[in-house]
Amino acid sequence: MTTPPLPGWCDSAPDATFTAPAVCSRQADRFARRIRIRNGIEYAAGALVIALFGASAIAAAVKGEGLIAASLALIVGGTLVILRNLAGRAGNAERLPEEACLAHLRRQYARQYAALRAVPAWYIGPLIPGCVLLYVAVAAGVAEVAGWRAALSGIVQPVAITFGVFGAVALLNWWAAQRIRRDIKRLDALAATSISA
Amino acid sequence: MTDAIEQLYRQAGAQFAPALARLARSVERDAEKARDLEQEMHCALWTSLARFAGQCSLKTWVYRVAHNVAADHVARSVRSPQRVPLEEIEALPSPANVEADAGEALVLGQVGELIRRLPPIDMQVIVLWLEGESAAAIAEITGLSAGAVNVRVHRIKALLASHFQFPETGETP
Repeated sequence: MTTPPLPGWCDSAPDATFTAPAVCSRQADRFARRIRIRNGIEYAAGALVIALFGASAIAAAVKGEGLIAASLALIVGGTLVILRNLAGRAGNAERLPEEACLAHLRRQYARQYAALRAVPAWYIGPLIPGCVLLYVAVAAGVAEVAGWRAALSGIVQPVAITFGVFGAVALLNWWAAQRIRRDIKRLDALAATSISA
Repeated sequence: MTDAIEQLYRQAGAQFAPALARLARSVERDAEKARDLEQEMHCALWTSLARFAGQCSLKTWVYRVAHNVAADHVARSVRSPQRVPLEEIEALPSPANVEADAGEALVLGQVGELIRRLPPIDMQVIVLWLEGESAAAIAEITGLSAGAVNVRVHRIKALLASHFQFPETGETP
């Protein structure tokens, strides 16, 4: 430690004290409870989707609409995959704030980058087979009555909206991931000069 | 075990509580949020001390935890100024605090504003330098080389040169 270089800087907050350990323990409990509630909400939303689409799949199967039932079952399967991915993501979130700042920052960036990159594969991809099959099933049903031309013209708009939203979400996440990748490269360059220096 | 952690925590508090308060106020302008951030640093430290086994000095450990929590806080902030690397800043920015109207208070306000505009690593180096830490200590805390620390310290000295005279010593700072 040397003499502080800027007069006045170290004069502020002379009476500051640390938070009592009991308060920290309570805060850690609150944090854990918040995480449990957040996870609970995610699982409840997933369970609702599974219940609705599962019941619809069964109803469609009973009515003999095999293609619709299969597409709804695929959406249920996709939702289960997403829930598994969410559980894995939460489990990997190890926190080590005592790392050297450069390493900590790189780890945070790498985690954000991986999460953003994973969005198309983990959160959108699992729903695509079910959605595609659902549109095929609906179009086939319409085509039986009014022909394929009418079926396809009627389905173009909803398909475009659905996959447009999926595409936009994937693109925005990819774009954000590229920005973080640039930050990671900058940190790696800084780390390389720090090692070679 | 808990007694040992509590003793370490109290020791850290006696030595570093004011420095952590200054760090929180440097990165967060809103007084209430700064207080919350300060408490977040304390609690992260309290939790982390269970893993402390003398891998480094207590000072290095405390500063690493505090600065990493502060950097995470900055990353979470929705409304914050655009970050500009230290080498691209030409002059001290104007302070947002209107009460900082003259002399030393004005410069401290400008330095605070500068810190809030820097990317995390630059911010960490500058705050530690302002606390009077040596280049070697800053390098150990941040993971940068002493050379990379010196480059940043010279830059901040150049920005402050018109306001203060810094003694020339063998070691930076």
